[in-house]
Amino acid sequence: MRKSSRATGLLAAVCVLLLALVVSACGGSSNDSKSSSSSGGGSSASGTGKEGGTITALLGTAPDYLDPHEGYTTQSAETTWIVYTPLLTYRHEEGQPGGELIPGLAQALPDISSNGNTYTLTLRKNLKYSNGKPVKASDFAYSVQRMLKLNWGGKSFVTSYVKGATAFDQGKAKSISGIKTDDASGKITITLEKPYGAFANVLAFPALALVPSGTPMKNLSNDPPPGVGPYMITDVTPNRGWTLKKNPSFAGLKIPDIPTGHLDQINAKVISNTQSEAQQVLNNQADVFDPGDTIPPSLLPQINSTAKDRFAKQTIPSTFYMFLNVTKPPFNNALARQAVNVGVDRRAFQRLASGFLLPECYFLPQGITGHPTGDCAYGTKDGAADLAKAKQLLQKSGQAGAKVTVWGQQREPRKEYVDYYTSQLNKIGFKATEKIIADETYFPTIGNAKTDPQTGFADWIQDFPNPSDFYLLLNASAIQPTNNQNFSKVRDPHIQQELKTLDATPASKLDSVADRWQALDEYVGKKAYVFVYGSEQVPQFFSNKLDFESAVFHPTYFNDWSTLQLK
Amino acid sequence: MATAQAPSAAETSAADAPRAGIGPYKLGAIRLRRNKVALAFGALFVVIVVLCLLAPVYAKQVAHTTPNENHVTDQIRVGGKLRDVVSPEGVPIGPTWHGRFLLGADQNGRDVAVRLLYGGRNSLEIGLIATLITVVFATIIGTVAGYFRGGADAVLSRGLDLIWAYPAVLLGIALGTSLALGGINLGLFKLQGNSLMVPAVIIGVVYIPYMAKPMRGQVLTLREKEFIDAARVQGFGPLHIMRSEILPNLASTILVFVPLILANAILLEAGLSYLGAGVQPPNPSWGTMISDGIRLIPSGIHLTFVPGIMLVLCVLGINVFGDGARDALDPRAKVRLEH
Repeated sequence: MRKSSRATGLLAAVCVLLLALVVSACGGSSNDSKSSSSSGGGSSASGTGKEGGTITALLGTAPDYLDPHEGYTTQSAETTWIVYTPLLTYRHEEGQPGGELIPGLAQALPDISSNGNTYTLTLRKNLKYSNGKPVKASDFAYSVQRMLKLNWGGKSFVTSYVKGATAFDQGKAKSISGIKTDDASGKITITLEKPYGAFANVLAFPALALVPSGTPMKNLSNDPPPGVGPYMITDVTPNRGWTLKKNPSFAGLKIPDIPTGHLDQINAKVISNTQSEAQQVLNNQADVFDPGDTIPPSLLPQINSTAKDRFAKQTIPSTFYMFLNVTKPPFNNALARQAVNVGVDRRAFQRLASGFLLPECYFLPQGITGHPTGDCAYGTKDGAADLAKAKQLLQKSGQAGAKVTVWGQQREPRKEYVDYYTSQLNKIGFKATEKIIADETYFPTIGNAKTDPQTGFADWIQDFPNPSDFYLLLNASAIQPTNNQNFSKVRDPHIQQELKTLDATPASKLDSVADRWQALDEYVGKKAYVFVYGSEQVPQFFSNKLDFESAVFHPTYFNDWSTLQLK
Repeated sequence: MATAQAPSAAETSAADAPRAGIGPYKLGAIRLRRNKVALAFGALFVVIVVLCLLAPVYAKQVAHTTPNENHVTDQIRVGGKLRDVVSPEGVPIGPTWHGRFLLGADQNGRDVAVRLLYGGRNSLEIGLIATLITVVFATIIGTVAGYFRGGADAVLSRGLDLIWAYPAVLLGIALGTSLALGGINLGLFKLQGNSLMVPAVIIGVVYIPYMAKPMRGQVLTLREKEFIDAARVQGFGPLHIMRSEILPNLASTILVFVPLILANAILLEAGLSYLGAGVQPPNPSWGTMISDGIRLIPSGIHLTFVPGIMLVLCVLGINVFGDGARDALDPRAKVRLEH
């Protein structure tokens, strides 16, 4: 009995081993293996590599600011989210799990009043900044005031919703009436003017992280203030680089689900030449390639052949699309919009992006609650365009030969996207011409009511993992005379009705309305208000010194430096 | 640039010696005919012009495409094998040495040979129109300023100084970038932002002072000559004197300036288009083709190399021929454009 049971166990072990080998062999055959696993369920933050050590991370573009209350770019957030932990933060995991809100400096997720207007949180006990100073609840109110004073790029997320924030921002009040704190109990109460379901996501911005009260209300990027996080910023050389050193007191705070960091030191260096940046990482002279940069197409074959075990394409929650202005001909005609969706090949955009674009056809991208997984309403994601059907639809619409001006940016590959799109519109039967303008003036120009563009390039990369963030672009209230973001000018009563409920649903309860978000996104697909062609992919590329498998690529903050470790 | 095969002293003296019945232009033609290098480069330029004029024929009959048609997801058969025009990694096919994609494709799967010829048409068209604008306005301004002197000269010369004071390329970029969006709208004179006429007008205007100033100087000298005084004494008005007495004496200078302005206009157009302030996409020009190919230099050097070579050959052809023409028409002239 005993013997037979041992034999069965041995057999089972051999089977498991064989299965594991088969699975690993299958996984290893793909370049995007890490990417596919990321959408499956994420990876653990704890690896099998060494503790300690120093690495060099390269960045093609310097962060706008290293002061958490001013920084708004990805390069800034990549550093600040592991130096300044906000009240709430995101799970340090890849894919959709990485979009899950977890308590940061707060003990738990917020208690939200039944009308959705009041958020109550309590600080964890015995928290300390990296300089040893204790963290107080009132530091939160001070930090939000500092963020507004410093004019953070996303401050409208606060001024639009938090009671009294606009008055403070305009200098009409000395404090923000909607934020009450109690240092003794650590309680923080935030009152909103109207319910905003994604407000918990707003609380997770590093720009709403705590710094000590009394921190000067001026840009401190060259000498960033202390924070609570696994690392602290030292030795800043403006536009050249900075150093992240492990915060010795953070591990003692024992905050669950936030990695304490493996490396002792990370030297961040700004390098403007992308070719040189990629070459240095390929040759192991530097360790991390900036995911905000593009790997030169000429180096891709070499990377795919000699460094495929330390390179992956990571899909970020983003929507790249062509807006179709529904208020003027020819795209006020549904059939003309359908013709575009059928007659333009989404795979072409992938090639124009050197392979760094995942073809998609729905407005909500992968990794965002509500993303439809079914077939496209019109056309296909990965098949050829049906030009014959597109021509037929256009003929039926009566818009054949209609003049169309396609707007685009000069930046590569966006200009190439517009070149292809224009060429394809002409093949379908429109008379399309392009208008390419400078990157800096593009969005203000197409967002101006006087321009009133017919169609053109648009994109959206999430501010936070919440479908509300994307549907801002199809919300009628976003149509403005200047800085309009609803470029298609969609005023659909059904969308407005649904957004009323969905936008008010708290982020922690998103799963309960996932089906409604999906139904809404499928409805938008059927209406063909936009032509969605993909989600951006970015490179995750390391030197062979780093343990690639244990490193987390976060959907919002990209390379999670707190999970990096040497082999 | 020195012209090769300088004629011998005996030949020169024979050619330069006044002959009964030979006018200055015929004399120039005789001198030019002897300059074989200039003629060879002139012929090269003519060949380029003819090739570019035949672009629509080549596109339709040989390449079976248009300059702006994208073939990003198409495949073609080369040597019996089916190949992507643009690979999934975004690398375009190189030269096939067949009718289709003879010189390869660009990143949007457009036929490089077709775009090269159409680009040449656009570059030459812009160069010629710009030259025409420069020559006409520079001649008028230079003649009026030089002849009338005084207040007219002061106003016109300061206007020219204003344009001259701004570096030509920077002025071109500033005007090109702003006009690419809204075009030009001067009441009766309207141009769309993406029209080829926009860079032509910009370049034409930018070069006016470079030609108008020397013209003015020459008119200042001419107006003091006896034959002008004689015309005045006969009671001819300023307009008649400028048209009948001064302009014919400026003709050889104008002819010498034309190739210089043309070569520089083509170069400036390429520079502006490279920087996004000249020819607007998707229209091709040699400058935009070089700009589009920069990103793919390591994997598709033909994308920058081929239009670059065409640009060099074209400008070289005009310049060497222009030098020959200058030597033939006015051997003492020291005309050159200074930036």
